[in-house]
Amino acid sequence: MILQPLPPRILSVRRIPNADPALLAAYGADPKRHRSLGLVTVDQDDPTYVALDEATKHANVDVVFAKSFYAGARHASGPLAGEILGVLAAADPEEIDEGIRALVRCLESDACFYAADESKQTAVFPHVIASLGHYLSAQAGLSPGEAMAYLVAPPMEATVGFDMALKTANVRSIKFFPPPTETNFAAAWLTGPLESCEAAALSFCEAVVRVAANPKGEVWGG
Amino acid sequence: MSRTRQLIDALREELGGAAPMPPVVPLARVPAPPARVFPRRHEGSRYARESAEHTTALLGIGHVGTRYATDVVLQFQAELAVAHAAVATELPDDWAEQNGLLGLHSRVRDHREFLLRPDLGRRLDAASLERLKAGARHGVDVQPILADGLSAVACMQSGIALLEAFTQACLARGLSVGTPVVARYARVWLEDEIGATVGAKVAAILLGERPGLGTGDGLSAYLVHAPRIGNTDGDRNMMSNIHARGTPPELAGERLALLARAMIDQKKSGVELDLSQLAHELGDAARRTHRAPQVRVRLVEAEP
Repeated sequence: MILQPLPPRILSVRRIPNADPALLAAYGADPKRHRSLGLVTVDQDDPTYVALDEATKHANVDVVFAKSFYAGARHASGPLAGEILGVLAAADPEEIDEGIRALVRCLESDACFYAADESKQTAVFPHVIASLGHYLSAQAGLSPGEAMAYLVAPPMEATVGFDMALKTANVRSIKFFPPPTETNFAAAWLTGPLESCEAAALSFCEAVVRVAANPKGEVWGG
Repeated sequence: MSRTRQLIDALREELGGAAPMPPVVPLARVPAPPARVFPRRHEGSRYARESAEHTTALLGIGHVGTRYATDVVLQFQAELAVAHAAVATELPDDWAEQNGLLGLHSRVRDHREFLLRPDLGRRLDAASLERLKAGARHGVDVQPILADGLSAVACMQSGIALLEAFTQACLARGLSVGTPVVARYARVWLEDEIGATVGAKVAAILLGERPGLGTGDGLSAYLVHAPRIGNTDGDRNMMSNIHARGTPPELAGERLALLARAMIDQKKSGVELDLSQLAHELGDAARRTHRAPQVRVRLVEAEP
């Protein structure tokens, strides 16, 4: 069965209640405002960006560091590395705890990749964020509360999918991440009214499924 | 559930992703089990064989390997079906009329409610109460009540015969008998309200009993002295297995009349009633006597 969720695995979660100022500065936090850090590694990067953003909506935390690792979770440097390290910073550990809870909730029940083919080799991330938090809105240059479609797939599938999404829905592109990204996927952020973002995600997802099912199209041996 | 997950679920349906069956996995050929025939083994003990003849319980039925023989299983299922059918049968609306009896109705509205709400089966509905007050003799010694209970089959089969035998036996013992009534959707305790309404000294309800394996046609009789709402089972005397293969209705009528006579003489019933003087009249139900071999009705025949 296609389009089954591929649930992300949280590989490690740690809290540093009173981090060293040098470390805070090195990871992009502000030692004047931040004292505590929450760290998480997950084997899927894009759901984690969404989940980190979700955390900023539920707790007084900032996402100070979030980076994907080269070539993805299958080429990780250790069993806990996964595909991404995300770091939340806050004035006190309780805020970190609250943020981590929101992040875990989001990863368990909301943001995840889906299998675009029967053999589960092709992963697609057609996610709709109904209301942006502080983190992704700043990254995207939008205001908190706006809707955004966060679309990820492997290079070929993604490129065809982006085109389809932009043509079929009333959305505009904010940012493309053409391949190769750190994990060798391609991504795009599109915005518009919520219904349009949803329509764009569905068009994108359908295009990815169709490319995965028929990789060589009509031109060459379709 | 998250909005994105809902959207993708809907898309999966739309793309037919949920519909196609996975390819059929070829099954490995399973070799046939080694041929091993179990002989049907019957109990070798003479004592067990002979005692099994005195009960209709499933004794001395032998075995085939570690399981029952096929005819035993089929017989069991057939008997269970008889019991189910008896519970499902309902007394026709006009049955009381056809038999010239006063028809009453409990507060139950339909058969399903009858099975689920015993409390409603223990009270008369308003119309029946009026009918009973207007149409029945009051101040009698014994008020006989025929009822469907849990087996309308039994009520229709031998109910009238038992009612006749009981009435005649009561009259023969000098007891006045009330207007015979038939109650539909009735539970045992309904006799309290009926008996109290007509002011009878003893109320006797004769009703189909909960069917058991192979007996869908058994009647039970419950007698209570000084019927009133609130009596408990400790206030009642009962007799079960009134059918051709148990106690025949004619004999049961005699015994029940004796019981009613004793209740009126002693002015009590239930656990307080002293039956010791009745032992010789009650016959072998009161004594430990030889029990004749029982005939189990065969619904399935086995090849010899």
